[in-house]
Amino acid sequence: MTEEIILLDHGSGGKVSHSMFSDIILPLFENPELSKQDDGATLDVEGTKLAFSTDSYVVDPIFFPGGNIGDLAVNGTINDIAMCGAMPKFISVGLIIEEGLPIKDFKLILETMANAAKKAGVKIVTGDTKVVPGGKADKIFINTSGIGVIPPDVNVSGSNAEPGDKIIISGTIADHGITILSSREGLKFDSDIKTDSAPLNKMVQSIIQSGCDIHVLRDPTRGGLGTTLNEIALQSNVGIKIDEQSLPVRGPVQGICELLGFDPLYIANEGKLIAFVPQKDAQKTLEVIQQNEFGKDAVIIGEVTKTDPGSVFLQTSIGGLRIIDMLTGEQLPRIC
Amino acid sequence: MALKYIEEYRDGSLARGLVKKIHAVSKKDLRLMEVCGTHTTSIFRHGIRSVLPKGITLLSGPGCPVCVTAQKDMDAFVEFARINNVIVTTFGDLMKVPGSSSTLTKEKACGADVRIVYSIFDAINIARENKDKEVVFCGVGFETTIPTIAAGILMGIQGGIDNFSIYSANKLTPPALAALMETDGIQIDGFILPGHVSVITGTNAYRDTFEKYDIPSVIAGFEPIDILQAILILIQQNEMGKPALENAYPRAVSDAGNVKAKQIMNQIFEVCNASWRGIGEVPLSGMGLKKEYQKFDAAIKFGMDMPDVPEPKGCACGQILMGLKSPYECALYKKKCTPMNPVGPCMVSSEGSCAAFYRYS
Repeated sequence: MTEEIILLDHGSGGKVSHSMFSDIILPLFENPELSKQDDGATLDVEGTKLAFSTDSYVVDPIFFPGGNIGDLAVNGTINDIAMCGAMPKFISVGLIIEEGLPIKDFKLILETMANAAKKAGVKIVTGDTKVVPGGKADKIFINTSGIGVIPPDVNVSGSNAEPGDKIIISGTIADHGITILSSREGLKFDSDIKTDSAPLNKMVQSIIQSGCDIHVLRDPTRGGLGTTLNEIALQSNVGIKIDEQSLPVRGPVQGICELLGFDPLYIANEGKLIAFVPQKDAQKTLEVIQQNEFGKDAVIIGEVTKTDPGSVFLQTSIGGLRIIDMLTGEQLPRIC
Repeated sequence: MALKYIEEYRDGSLARGLVKKIHAVSKKDLRLMEVCGTHTTSIFRHGIRSVLPKGITLLSGPGCPVCVTAQKDMDAFVEFARINNVIVTTFGDLMKVPGSSSTLTKEKACGADVRIVYSIFDAINIARENKDKEVVFCGVGFETTIPTIAAGILMGIQGGIDNFSIYSANKLTPPALAALMETDGIQIDGFILPGHVSVITGTNAYRDTFEKYDIPSVIAGFEPIDILQAILILIQQNEMGKPALENAYPRAVSDAGNVKAKQIMNQIFEVCNASWRGIGEVPLSGMGLKKEYQKFDAAIKFGMDMPDVPEPKGCACGQILMGLKSPYECALYKKKCTPMNPVGPCMVSSEGSCAAFYRYS
């Protein structure tokens, strides 16, 4: 068998996904907007700066503690737009439904989507539905796309990190991925963990309104914090050093990670952002984030360095130093 | 919430104290081998190499079950996946290990029914729910895993499940250490002995090997404090010229081990010869099904007897897991062989030394 085929690993969000993007996708579609490789594209439409993003959701199971595929899909696109420094305004929804899905489940998912949109203050303005025969999809897949407006003086990008910047995370890591994993058949854990899926647009809005100088905003979803930091280190050509002891991880999440051999640094989040800000604005930004309902556990986890551009290092709790690479190998398929 | 028995063994000030002691007592250049793959991962994850004196070299040993699986056994797993009506059940680590012509991941992508399970009991349940299919479990593990496989077989017998079988590539740790010590060119000044395996085997299982080779040996837990403590003891034994077999993991390991687990293991399995990647055939180092349980032996059920094949050209996994080479000395490392496109098993398993080097250094 020599023919190359798509493997689950291509969808991991880690190294293989990245090489699929740069080797196959980018050369075919190349343009300046796509090449920036941010969470969404930043567009100039007759003088107005817009952010535009799309994402598909195939999470399994479709219902899990703290949410379902519906609010995950709405919050995910809202967050991708917000991470461009934009205010999300309008969302489209594409539904691919497997024949046999109970109507009550379908309704519940749509109600959750409507509530999530309302909570975030965005409108679902267009959409599409397709139904496929049983076995040709798995219950329901959702695509959402969204548009937001970037205020004129805002310039946030993964390529803007500068040496000396402090790195803030808005709360505990790995909650979403571990929630999905522990909801799966065969791996039921008796714990109170739930997804962190949440809209972060209001948090981003307050950061911007605070007047702090924000260099980078990113939500560390698939591939986890470790992969996202690597993306930024590469995009900005800087080094990054974070402190293991400062990383916020809930006890039960840490426990399941220990049990199954997962590193929380590579587990998906769906309601967290990382912000890179110059040292002078770090404390103020942290306080602004902590005032948001989804940012109470925010902390500073590290800083940008001049040395080792493109690499991310972790100062371990015992005083050792190790590299954090991008996720290699599919850790948990169909997590979002 | 603090995690009992984890956080106290990751305590920064305790660790710094141990590191200071290690630097104070360490005079000679020493090569210490951590036998177990979980130790390898923990050493990298906590940056332990970066805090040790320059003269202390840590070698990764033959204690990652996936890494020591012979090529012909990997080929057998792939062949099972190609048989119509067979569901292959496996631990996740085996999915990407290259057989001679394919991997379980690729077979799955092409339509084979390959399922990742977290224990043999999941595999038994799959067999129960798929009576019209044959379920094969890839048995790859050491003393930690073999008793659970034995318990799974007992459960299958009790449940009257006959569409279930295992392919046993299971292995025992002490014979591998002895084989290692007999190998030409081996330079090891001490063993960090596996924690989990020793919970089952007990300290006594290593006594013969220790007495024959007189090599400093310390059983260690997996947290950084455990590992630093074991390294300190090994250095002290070497500096004083007083080798000993010590248990630095008494909160989990006893002299006799887990007697019940050993009983179940010995009820179903018997010691046999086994092929180890890199080391070759090691007498009495495997665990095969006893004659009366052979109806659960997938090799017999399907007549599976794959030929011995050479390991991939240029792949140094065999020498790496014997401590003869470091991953950096393998010509394929980070070039032709990466976790995305692994050539040898040490680059696949999360406990493999090449994967750990790639990921963490």
